[in-house]
Amino acid sequence: MVGGTIDLAGIYTAYEGSDRPVLKNVSTSIASGEFVVVGGPNGAGKTTFLESINGMLPITHGQARVCGLDVTSHGYAVRRRVGYVIQNFAFDPLAPFTVRHVVMMGRYGLLGYGKQPGEDDRQAVDEAIHLLGIEDLEERPIGKLSGGQQQKVLIAQNLAKNPDILLLDEPFSNLDLCTRDFISEVLTGIADAGCTVVMVSHAFDALPTREIRILVMNDGHLSLDTCCPADEVEERVRTHSGGPHA
Amino acid sequence: MLEFLIPNNIVCHAVEAMLFASIACSVLGVIITHLNISSIGFTMTHAAFAGAAVGIFFGLDGTIAAILASLTIAAILGPLSEKARMSTDTILGVLFGMMMAIAIFFIAYMQYLGAGFNASALLFGNVTSLYREEIYALAVISVAAVLFVLIFFKEITAIIFDRRIAEAAGIRVRPIYYALLFMIAISVSLSLNIIGGLLLYVWLVTPAAIAYQFCTTVRGLFLSAPLVAGSVSVAGAWIGFQYSLPVGPLTAVAFSALFLMAVMISPKRRVPTGT
Repeated sequence: MVGGTIDLAGIYTAYEGSDRPVLKNVSTSIASGEFVVVGGPNGAGKTTFLESINGMLPITHGQARVCGLDVTSHGYAVRRRVGYVIQNFAFDPLAPFTVRHVVMMGRYGLLGYGKQPGEDDRQAVDEAIHLLGIEDLEERPIGKLSGGQQQKVLIAQNLAKNPDILLLDEPFSNLDLCTRDFISEVLTGIADAGCTVVMVSHAFDALPTREIRILVMNDGHLSLDTCCPADEVEERVRTHSGGPHA
Repeated sequence: MLEFLIPNNIVCHAVEAMLFASIACSVLGVIITHLNISSIGFTMTHAAFAGAAVGIFFGLDGTIAAILASLTIAAILGPLSEKARMSTDTILGVLFGMMMAIAIFFIAYMQYLGAGFNASALLFGNVTSLYREEIYALAVISVAAVLFVLIFFKEITAIIFDRRIAEAAGIRVRPIYYALLFMIAISVSLSLNIIGGLLLYVWLVTPAAIAYQFCTTVRGLFLSAPLVAGSVSVAGAWIGFQYSLPVGPLTAVAFSALFLMAVMISPKRRVPTGT
């Protein structure tokens, strides 16, 4: 994995059909290989922050460059290099998609129209499945798995594309304590390998034991941007989650 | 095309038309049902219905008018359905009601004027007076629907799994989605004369819903849905002619009965037994 950089300069992001920006004048730079935790109260704009980085939401003002690419004009190219594990997923228990099929979908964006997955793609999928320890689930329908297992599958899907940056929205929300620790280890491993990790989270008990960069958001603004050890993250986030000027 | 199997020209044309219409509608139907955009398909069939009624009133070709109307609705629905913060259902409900009202208004007015207009063909379909060109057009759209799925198979499977996840994976979701709406618009417009505006929806949804009860892979769904739709439609056309029954409604009833049976015997719905 090659880590990617994120450079945001005074960005505003609004949902389509709304003239009220959710992100307001957000500026920050994240270097390659950093481990970033984004905290803040509900509705502060944390998910919007992630979806502005990968270009899924339109940036109305300011400039965002990710992996050296302008997000507004190269959204698809950015998303091919940036993994994004979404929050609030729900899959139909009868849906005809096996775990392996879902993990392979992570490679589809890299392939282009009309091209079928080859040996390299199958190998990347095998490695991601092995890394998440879900080999025994490979042929099972994703809709029949528990929330925690589905979370692992979605992380594997994003790792299968060997991202330069991995964005995660509440990755610990469906997980028991053991699985949290396991996922934390996996994320530490990929960050150590050079991948930039940006994670929205309210659960700070399973953060990797390394220096963490914290971004705290309040009402669409960045109210804190600092680095600290993992065991101080929760206190720092709590202290700065009061309001835009806290 | 199938004259070597069915010597009677009228029956042969009816079977061919039903076969091609069912292939196009059912292949697209697999995508429609998985994307949960059945209400979009429903609105577009009624747009084609209204377009045909208006076109006939103004002395235009009904099929061309149906295509124009459903393409217009497709052009409106594309951007509309992407605005997550807008209540798409409400707007679809309004559009559906408007399309239905326009169609009924023009049909009733033509009948009032004594224009010699037979509304039942537009409502329930008519397979007895088909032009060869109509069948060729249906053959082309059914081949186009199959090619669309073959070429964009992996993108389509990712999109029907989860549109947001597909987009996050770097797949160009919007062009595929717009192409799908375009294909639905053309398919429903060309099938309107055969199946009828009130029944067309059955061909878009029910074969895919039947296949869904049994298939465990997306590939299986795309193979089974047209197979089910084609078999039932051809059988419906043949039985309809044999016993002088209305082909469209007969086939629609057969689809619904088959769906109920499929739900009852579906292995996917079986509750595991044992302790």
